[in-house]
Amino acid sequence: MNLALDLAQALLIVLCAPLVRGIIARWKAILQRRRGASIWRPYAELFKLFRKEDLVPPTSSAIFRVAPAVLFGATVCAAAFIPVLQPSALLASRGDFFLLVYLLALARFFLSLGALDGGSAFGGMGASREALVSSLAEAPLLLGLAAVAILAHRAELAGMAAWTLEQNVFDVSAVHILALTSLAMVTLAETGRMPVDNPTTHLELTMIHEGMVLEYSGPSLALVEWSAAIKLHLMLALLVALFFPWGMTSHISGWGLAGALLFYALKVVALMALVSVIESAVAKLRMYLVPDFLGVASAVSALAVIFTVLVKR
Amino acid sequence: MFTEITAGAFVLVLALLGLLVPLILIVARAAGARKLAIALILAAVSAGCVVAVGGLLGQTAPVLDFSRAAPFSFSLAVDPLSAFFLLLVSAVAIPVTLFGGSYFELHQPEPRRRWTWIFYSWFLLSMIVVVTAATGFAFLVGWELMTLVSAALILVEGDSEERRHNVFIYLLMMHAGAAAVAAAFFLFLPFSHSLDLSALRAAGAALPGGIRAAIFLSAFVGFGTKAGLIPLHLWLPRAHPLAPSPVSALMSGIMLKTAVYGFVRFAFDFLAGGPSWFGYVVLLAGAVSGLLGVLYAIAEHDLKRLLAYHSVENIGIIYLGLGTSLLFLSNHAPLWASLALIAALLHTFNHALFKSLLFLGAGAISAAAHTIDLEELGGLLRRMPITGTTFLIACCSIVGLPLFNGFISEWLTFRSFLAGSVLTNTRAQIVLPLMVGVLALIGGLAAACFVKAFGVAFLGRSRSAEAEHAVEAPVPMRIGMTMLAAACVLIGILPGILLHPLVSLGQALIPGSGVPEETLIIARVIPWTAAIILGVVVIAVLPKRTHRMVPTWGCGFSQLTSRMQYTSTAFSKPIRFVFTRVYRPDRKVERLPTDQPYFPVSISYRSVRTTSFEKSLYRPFVEGVVWLAQGLRRAQTGNIQMYLLYIFLALVSLLAFLRFQP
Repeated sequence: MNLALDLAQALLIVLCAPLVRGIIARWKAILQRRRGASIWRPYAELFKLFRKEDLVPPTSSAIFRVAPAVLFGATVCAAAFIPVLQPSALLASRGDFFLLVYLLALARFFLSLGALDGGSAFGGMGASREALVSSLAEAPLLLGLAAVAILAHRAELAGMAAWTLEQNVFDVSAVHILALTSLAMVTLAETGRMPVDNPTTHLELTMIHEGMVLEYSGPSLALVEWSAAIKLHLMLALLVALFFPWGMTSHISGWGLAGALLFYALKVVALMALVSVIESAVAKLRMYLVPDFLGVASAVSALAVIFTVLVKR
Repeated sequence: MFTEITAGAFVLVLALLGLLVPLILIVARAAGARKLAIALILAAVSAGCVVAVGGLLGQTAPVLDFSRAAPFSFSLAVDPLSAFFLLLVSAVAIPVTLFGGSYFELHQPEPRRRWTWIFYSWFLLSMIVVVTAATGFAFLVGWELMTLVSAALILVEGDSEERRHNVFIYLLMMHAGAAAVAAAFFLFLPFSHSLDLSALRAAGAALPGGIRAAIFLSAFVGFGTKAGLIPLHLWLPRAHPLAPSPVSALMSGIMLKTAVYGFVRFAFDFLAGGPSWFGYVVLLAGAVSGLLGVLYAIAEHDLKRLLAYHSVENIGIIYLGLGTSLLFLSNHAPLWASLALIAALLHTFNHALFKSLLFLGAGAISAAAHTIDLEELGGLLRRMPITGTTFLIACCSIVGLPLFNGFISEWLTFRSFLAGSVLTNTRAQIVLPLMVGVLALIGGLAAACFVKAFGVAFLGRSRSAEAEHAVEAPVPMRIGMTMLAAACVLIGILPGILLHPLVSLGQALIPGSGVPEETLIIARVIPWTAAIILGVVVIAVLPKRTHRMVPTWGCGFSQLTSRMQYTSTAFSKPIRFVFTRVYRPDRKVERLPTDQPYFPVSISYRSVRTTSFEKSLYRPFVEGVVWLAQGLRRAQTGNIQMYLLYIFLALVSLLAFLRFQP
């Protein structure tokens, strides 16, 4: 029963990921006074792409076709770390946040290699920019998570969520506020959203993620797009699990699960609304301002770690 | 019974490497003799593995005493720490020797090749002596032999003014380091009756604080020079690229690790930790080496120099673990200290595996494409599938990606940093968790660097005709690389096989420690993670997808050329731009003719990274030495009466010293 629920949680993150993208795109359209596409369109797109054929550059190697699969595999595996409905997950009882972050790094490593294998300038451009952003985003991400882990006295995500669940809602500390701030900033950078990257652009001056995937088509592109959607959903779910886990059920029952699902949906919807407002209200940063943005995130997360000494009992 | 076997095997190792192999090579010049010599080297290092495994399994240490044959006390023994490093030396030497067997055949003409193999054999012997020495003199003899033989291996490869200059710097720095190591040994003498390692261990507990600090600092500087800690790393990017690839693999993969061995021996075995500043010094050195090492590596496009700087980075990661362990020791947390030490030792082993694999890969590339300049390579994966795949595995390992061995040790290091938050000392409580950020930054930058190295060399289009016509390496070279790659994946997925002996080694080195829970956790969670990832990858790849070859869109041009791809320099530009302060590039742009700035006929651009250490640290030091020597010249008058006066004064002062000695 527990195992089935853990599996269901992972599947929830994987299968609902395109919906998250669709809703954000729709709300952004509404905020910009457009009608926008249906929230189900990402599913239709995936379905279409999976039925098409792969177009492969003749100069590319096996990496070009393996990379999307590894990207997808590592991202799905990372999804198995996130507690959603209950403070446990398929791998979260033993796997900690370091493993989670490094799985995402594995995914990104192969995506960047696939981009370079296309043999065009755009792939290299995207990979090079992604290398800059991701290498600077890793430190604030791990430091922010470490700050919460220090308070919770455990590094496993399930344990961290369970610990926060036991705390009083109004008992938030400075550490939580700082860690949440830095993790929210990093989430925008890691998932390629504004103000770090523009997910809708195809202009060579600005694109990062889109530049990397430019040569992909058909099922490979579907895997890449799906992975990107899973990563976005996963990061939002991670923020929810660490900072707003209230609503999760500790003991399994039908009503408890239904309530947990409802609460989870509400929390993610709130975060999605926030993302779409930010994306509509904020201009994309100049490329070389991104290190400053991430520098602020790093400083904030370092402060969070330092403040744990004061907060801890 | 088993002890006798290991003792016999140990004698065999020394006899083969020290005497028989060089003898065969000197006496017989036929190709068959060379093959026999290589086979004997392989037999010797395999026997070394047997001895090491015996030592790790807790067999009583075989002791070989050569004191009667030597003018001073000279004996070798295999205790658990020695056994671990002996395993590292022997296990990595097997694939490297296999690779070298075919590499030297292709790339070195006869008289040089013979000498290369002789020195190669002695080089292995010297490293085995260093890690198994049971007396201080045996250690120093091995240490000196290691330096001289490795310098000889670089000089055999070729001769030029630049090469001699770089070897001179190498020898100079190694001897300065060796002097510090010798000083660390001799400082024990007033408190220890001999320089036997067991006597030093016994004396270590009762040392006065000042001497303790002096020994620690001498050992730190001496071994740090060999390990390549910044700012003592100057020789490393100079020496490694000059040596033939299998020798670079040995130097970077194994020789640097003997320095880690020496430092662990002194800091943990003899001194058993110390005040907390020991830990902070090591931690700081590790953080600086790690960060600057990886930043310098990103800016390189010569593959071997890039790899050499990554050795600096990885030594930094190892020292981060060692510093953390020392800090835990001074805070009386033996369990966490043993976790950090296990992390550092595992990373030492892992680095030996993947770094020698990377250097072998660089050798295979240079053999196939006649260059290791990344800007001239590209598209090699299709032409050299085995070399490329093993190189990719090594890249994933060194970056610390899950399912590969580098991740296990980096994960353990991360967890030991995090454990720092449970200490009661506030400073350690803040500093250690912050190191998570430092290691994360190092890891992120290393990932960027190896995306560049692998992507530019192996993917996309070929950037030169040589790369276009590269062919796969010969079979023995491929076998060597595959063995190392298999070891990286095996440890990455089933880390228990190495963690288990390391935990008992930690218990032996740090009294009062138990089995850190983390070592069990990672051994359990990684296989599951691997299963899930592989399962999903198979599901994603399994449906038979049709694919069509279509040229990449050329943005309206008829065809893309290889010059339109991102180069290594272009790839690293954003990172170099952000970290300009670290590189301090010296740029020169010349436009000709100068009177027409807007319509130049030719523009030349040159950018040199100023190595600020040379300018700001070494130059004043060298100038100081020269100034001192010139001052001393005044005392050297050449007048015999003056020298007699010096002797007389020395005698009087000695007598006075003896008379008034307290």
